[in-house]
Amino acid sequence: MRFTIYQESRVGGRANNEDRTTYCYSRDALLMVVADGMGGHHYGEIAAQIAIQTLADTFQREAKPMLGDPFRFLQKSMTNAHHAILDYTARHKLKDTPRTTCVACVVQDNVAYWAHAGDSRLFLMRAGKVITQTKDHSRIRLLVEEGLITEAQAENHPDRNKIYSCLGSPTPPEIEFSRKTPLEHGDVLLLCSDGLWGITTGEQMAVALKGANLLQVAPMLLDRAEIKGGVHGDNLSMVAVRWEDSYVEDASSSISTQTMSQDEITTRLEEFGRNPAYKSDLSEDEIEKAIEEIRNAIDKYNPKK
Amino acid sequence: MAQQANQPLPNGHTLEEYTIDRQLSLGGFSIVYLATDPEGTQVAIKEYLPNSLALRNNGSTKPVITPEHQGAFRYGMKCFFEEGRALARLSHPNVIRVLNFFRANDTVYMVMEYEHGRTLQEFIQKHQGHISERFIRGVFTRMLNGLREVHAHKLLHLDLKPSNIYLRADNTPVLIDFGAARQTLATDQPILKPMYTPGFASPEHYGTRKDLGPWSDIYSVGASMYACLAGSAPQAADERLKKDTLAPAMMRWDGQFSDRLLEIIDWCLNLNHLYRPQSVFALQKALVETVTPPTPKRDPHWLGRFVGKFRKPPQ
Repeated sequence: MRFTIYQESRVGGRANNEDRTTYCYSRDALLMVVADGMGGHHYGEIAAQIAIQTLADTFQREAKPMLGDPFRFLQKSMTNAHHAILDYTARHKLKDTPRTTCVACVVQDNVAYWAHAGDSRLFLMRAGKVITQTKDHSRIRLLVEEGLITEAQAENHPDRNKIYSCLGSPTPPEIEFSRKTPLEHGDVLLLCSDGLWGITTGEQMAVALKGANLLQVAPMLLDRAEIKGGVHGDNLSMVAVRWEDSYVEDASSSISTQTMSQDEITTRLEEFGRNPAYKSDLSEDEIEKAIEEIRNAIDKYNPKK
Repeated sequence: MAQQANQPLPNGHTLEEYTIDRQLSLGGFSIVYLATDPEGTQVAIKEYLPNSLALRNNGSTKPVITPEHQGAFRYGMKCFFEEGRALARLSHPNVIRVLNFFRANDTVYMVMEYEHGRTLQEFIQKHQGHISERFIRGVFTRMLNGLREVHAHKLLHLDLKPSNIYLRADNTPVLIDFGAARQTLATDQPILKPMYTPGFASPEHYGTRKDLGPWSDIYSVGASMYACLAGSAPQAADERLKKDTLAPAMMRWDGQFSDRLLEIIDWCLNLNHLYRPQSVFALQKALVETVTPPTPKRDPHWLGRFVGKFRKPPQ
């Protein structure tokens, strides 16, 4: 696999950031998650953190190096995250459960699979156009679908932030799955919270990202949305990946997973309260695994005559 | 302090199921031995032993690694694994085959096929300046088959040079020593010591290394072909960037080799990577095109030759 990836979460005009993002990849699979902890409830950031950590942990356990069934993985880990939030509520005797939206996407074998609950979105962009996106689980979305209000009205509707599905709510979440979507070289998958898409539309972002260097344009999009959001702007977060197939000019910033070992997984995730930038050393176990894998590759590709 | 060289394992030493015959070569990063497997087949065994980090004294088998070097030693081991992983996945007659990989003596070993032969470097030294065009085309076209396979796996060799092109007894080339083969991924990480050989390394090898690509290996191919004609390495790329004194092959050997071959060499040796062949395939295609023999310009008529004497020489 070869791709360029960018993630960032900003506090915007709020007192604290209740958005969380993460991505992890093994040699053959990639996971990206955005969770937006809900402000109206207490501890939104805890719900969001539990959600992304549950997904990342499950991925690290199961992507060796591929996931057996990506949809099943998404379904299982999002449901587990939901229950983990409920458990947390019970353990800490909270009056109200913390809640979060969640959108997660897996890419493996050049095919994307995603699932979401709530109004954090995924956009698939190709050649400067949004070719598909998730449908928010909000009442306003239903009204638009039924033709009762127009898109323009929806943008300023007082209920635009009310959602009917999320992780952590006493009613089980409604998790919506995508189709298996094959990716083409240059496709961009962008996952973001409403703090971003509420200000800059998917179409505008697609145009900005067309053919551009993701690592330059993505922070620019956040800059612009943050300024437009103003002093009371919402938290804004995104994880964006540009999928690549072959050699490209600017190869240094893109990630290739070809020489990763089968059990190696890289995770980018902010942890609570401490800096996760510890130094990883090659352990005895990893040495044994690397040798094992090389021997297997020899048997597979260069069997003894 | 002068760097001490590592002591090789003694001849006759038994390492797993192999018996060491003798040391083949000693590098800064590893030692290569000639050994025999239980069936009596000769193999080459590469021992990971960076002499700046691990030192083996005479008489002992395990190297001494001081605690402060342990981290770097393990990091280098990771690179050694990358080499093994890369090679194990490649199965091509023009790329060295890995037969086994094991751990012993606190370090790791890679067992590779061994055949009688010599490196292109030895061949060049022996035939100083008398290597035929047919030989060059034959060796490089086949060697490029191997390199194509390497690039098809999205790997770069990054240390191509005549001493890493091994010629079997029948002169079929084999690419050896993938110690520098990395994916561009690794450039973001601290590198133990970037490996390259002056003269054969491309300009992208120096500095930030962000432009490394198939074209960088292609520069090294050009430099190796140049070395076949010159008998020695061309001027180093970093020197060329300051002051380019490398005589183009087209000027230096005009008339002795086909124009096409000389053109190809100069094409590969372009300092700007965008002006080189961008893929091995493009280079191979150029190499296998029909050979046009050198055509010395001659005015057939005596009057033409007579007039030519008084004419201004062409610029």
